[in-house]
Amino acid sequence: MIRTTALRAQSIFRTALSASRTNAASSTRLMSSHSTETDDQFDARYENFFNRKDIDGWEIRRGVNELWGHDLVPEPKILIAALRACRRVNDFALAVRILEAIKDKCGSKVNEIYPYIMQEITPTLKELGVSTPEELGFDKPELALESVYNL
Amino acid sequence: MAGTFLALTARAVRTNPKLPMQTAGMASYVRNLIGKREIVGYGFNGEPNYVDRTDFPLPAIRWREPTPDISALREKEKGDWNNLSLEEKKALYRASFCQTFAEFKAPTGEWKSVIGLSLVFMSGAFWLFYFMKAFVYSPLPITFDKEHREAQLRRMIDLQVNPVQGISSKWDYEKDDWKK
Repeated sequence: MIRTTALRAQSIFRTALSASRTNAASSTRLMSSHSTETDDQFDARYENFFNRKDIDGWEIRRGVNELWGHDLVPEPKILIAALRACRRVNDFALAVRILEAIKDKCGSKVNEIYPYIMQEITPTLKELGVSTPEELGFDKPELALESVYNL
Repeated sequence: MAGTFLALTARAVRTNPKLPMQTAGMASYVRNLIGKREIVGYGFNGEPNYVDRTDFPLPAIRWREPTPDISALREKEKGDWNNLSLEEKKALYRASFCQTFAEFKAPTGEWKSVIGLSLVFMSGAFWLFYFMKAFVYSPLPITFDKEHREAQLRRMIDLQVNPVQGISSKWDYEKDDWKK
């Protein structure tokens, strides 16, 4: 009995003592499914993705839809890259849709985040000639939904 | 949301001229559904379908089929966007997308009809009960009057029903009255 207790105690103490030592091998193995990507790497990955020279509309849509699946508001530099990609594939509607979607993505913090993003990307918008949803009158409901029988 | 959902189900086609017979059949089936609409992205289950959603902002096909007007606009779109007028910009948007975010997120007011109809049915149930009570059910048995119920209570106390936590635990048998 005493022996068992002693052995147990020893193993407990051993764990406590060795806990301070990092075990790189086991930590990577135990957390193999966890992303180790930093925020900067994440931003850079998407920025590079949208900056690709041969990107097409399909890839832009895939990238944005995928980015929108994350619990974050994309950095202005990612958006600028995406807007420039829209320019390269000559898709104006796509650029406006992304601006609308970013406003929605701000969620309840729309009054804090959205002005900041617009301030950051306005030079790009001016350069490309992209109108904001507000300029187009898309910030308020404009048209009622057409009946599906009249399409 | 369901109203905006244009269900265009079939396998995605990224046109390949040498498709096997069956796949070619599927492809023409898709074409049948979406007409000349351009497939521009990856839709639900890889199928070319259109839906306005905030969590999937860029649907797989354009909303309008290309008309001569739209084609001309798309040619002009290849130039500087600063040269596009506001109307042209809006037309381009409407060619690609059905509703703006503000439109499909607008409240429908449906909750009013839901609450209203619920109240209508609840009051209907009340009147139905009242009708049954008045015209269908026979009167309550005589044992429901006060005298019979008091006799029933006295009987339960005499039998010491539920003496630990229930009715008899509150009865003082020595004073023959309720415990104060």
